Amino acid sequence: MGRMRGKGIFMGLLAVCVLLTAGAAFAAGDEIKIGACQPITGRFAFAGVNINAGLQDYINYANEMKLVKGKKLVYIYEDTGYDTDKAVATFKKIMAKDNPVIMYGESTGQGKAIAPELNSRYKVLYGSTSFSSELADPKNHPYSFVSGPTYSDMFGILLEYISKQAKGKARPKVAFFYSDTEFGKDPIPYARKRAKELGIDVAAEVVTKVGAVDVTTEVLTLKKAQPDYCIFQGYVLAPIPEVVRAAKDFGLKTTFMGVFWSVDKSIIDKLGADAEGYMGVNPYAYYYENAPGITAMRKYNERVHPNEKYRPNSYIQGWFTGMVFVEAINKVLAAKKPVTGDNLKDALAKIRNWDTGGISGRVTFVDNKAAVGRVYRANVKKGIFEPVSDWIYVK
Amino acid sequence: MIFPFVAGDYLLYLANLTGVLIIGALGLNILTGFTGQISLGHAAFVGVGAYAAAVGATRFGLPFFLAIPMGGAVACAAGTVVGVPSLRVKGLYLAIATLAAQVIFEWIFSNWDSVTGGIRGINVPPASLFGVALNTDFRIYYLIFAMVAMFTYFARNLFRTRVGRAFIAIRDRDISAELMGINLFRYKILSFMVSSFYAGVAGGVWVYFTKVVTPEYFPLSLSIQFLAIIVVGGLGSIQGTIFGAIFMTLVPELLKAGTESARAVFPDAMSYLFPMRDILFGAMIVGFLVFEPHGLAEMWHRTKRYFALWPFKN
Repeated sequence: MGRMRGKGIFMGLLAVCVLLTAGAAFAAGDEIKIGACQPITGRFAFAGVNINAGLQDYINYANEMKLVKGKKLVYIYEDTGYDTDKAVATFKKIMAKDNPVIMYGESTGQGKAIAPELNSRYKVLYGSTSFSSELADPKNHPYSFVSGPTYSDMFGILLEYISKQAKGKARPKVAFFYSDTEFGKDPIPYARKRAKELGIDVAAEVVTKVGAVDVTTEVLTLKKAQPDYCIFQGYVLAPIPEVVRAAKDFGLKTTFMGVFWSVDKSIIDKLGADAEGYMGVNPYAYYYENAPGITAMRKYNERVHPNEKYRPNSYIQGWFTGMVFVEAINKVLAAKKPVTGDNLKDALAKIRNWDTGGISGRVTFVDNKAAVGRVYRANVKKGIFEPVSDWIYVK
Repeated sequence: MIFPFVAGDYLLYLANLTGVLIIGALGLNILTGFTGQISLGHAAFVGVGAYAAAVGATRFGLPFFLAIPMGGAVACAAGTVVGVPSLRVKGLYLAIATLAAQVIFEWIFSNWDSVTGGIRGINVPPASLFGVALNTDFRIYYLIFAMVAMFTYFARNLFRTRVGRAFIAIRDRDISAELMGINLFRYKILSFMVSSFYAGVAGGVWVYFTKVVTPEYFPLSLSIQFLAIIVVGGLGSIQGTIFGAIFMTLVPELLKAGTESARAVFPDAMSYLFPMRDILFGAMIVGFLVFEPHGLAEMWHRTKRYFALWPFKN
């Protein structure tokens, strides 16, 4: 009897699956599907929610403005909980159900885990939340791309800025302050090499656990080394505020810098007056800037989400990724080719000197990434980051 | 056996994942459920096995049928070392000792760059059998299925042997076991060895399944997940382990499917509904512990009994 009931449930499930696939097949035609595995819950949710909102909003915006002629973009997303296994399962689920030509992934880990099958079976264009240099390697990851510069490029941009500031003065001294994770260590070998080339001394390297709370010893290391600049990598907030405060207490003159994740407005809110002088590199403009692309984004938000007064950097990252997708699709359509993962990947590699309306610098995709960013400094009185350089392009 | 032909990629992937979890959880159940030695470092042994198999496959070019046992053997050696304190410490103290193993191994995975590839990990070529690459979920399913069957069979039979009986005696009352002439040290270590061998094999199979291994795959939370599997499934039950692994993999996915379908009705409520899923899952586990402390295995027995005696009340 138990077996009979089990069989009934199984047949029912099978029927549901068949119906779902049939439904999906009928809806095709002038639609271009974009799938996304988003970390909406879990450890990375603070950014995942915004990245998802940004990507989704841009796709809606592109449909409204008819940015892709004669086609409708369809956005399909699911939550992954920031768990690699679940993310891979979600990837397969979306591919099996909707068969999109573009996928978006939640992490570096997912990018690596899906790579063998992405290259041999799925062959879809793959963007993700990650800025890892490894995913920008066209040999092992031909279908993936990084939405902007990699962490190495961001370090390159900061180091270039530092070396320009020091023109004619003594050799500048920097410290690298990073977490003991893939995220933290990713750009360090490149950064050491690049610093040497630019004539910058690496005075100290401090490695911590992610959740480090007591930073006194680390700050003492900095005090001993007396660097002019200290660059954080592999953190979002903690322990950056603690280090910056403790360094102030110890009377250090060091300028602290961060990359993408740690130059959001939230760090100024958290640090208060201590944020004065805090700097960093951002691949995108801020929500309050007046570039045409950003103004359009703000107008869209005022109309569709009147309650959202501010959008963090991760939202802009999602929006920008949407722009890259649309640009690649339009390039394929302009060449009168079918919109497939292979054609999209080739089109992406041909993007040169693309004007993003000031959301980013002019974008050129080389090695599956667009190595451009700008250096910003915190203005505590206004509570915002202000640009101190033009867009800096690195190789 | 016919499951792969009717299931899509997604279901196959989940089935494979469950298979790997079953092998690993069987190992932990032998140690914790049958021998009564708690371990918070099980994920680390899975990691050791995964790295050993990956190194075997990439550096020494071993085929999978040698690399996987190698993963098991290396994990077994690591388990023996970690198991040594088990004679002296029990219960919570042992939990902390194994927790230390978890932390130490995690550190080794990410810092012994020359062997583990550091934070970038190791990419592993797919397993191949008679020239056929097991590179899809469909093909690897049979490998995992065979391994699960083999190791379940072994575990079931283990407790019909002298060794298995000794494990159970140690769990029930170690002093009486010793009085009966069971060499506590030997059997406790043996239990650690068998358990970490299972973990290592699970790691080896897992490497061939995901084709990449990085330190981030074996956090403490995975150890906890293994514990949750055997607690929900039923401590000291082979069948329960299998139920537990299936439950822990499928229920979150089903809950997710539930929230996904709610999206059509409440498109704006997703930001509340997604976290609700985790809360619901946690509540279900607590519910299990309160209403059925013997786990899914006991529920299964009761259901079976009910149908066997139907229509008479039992």
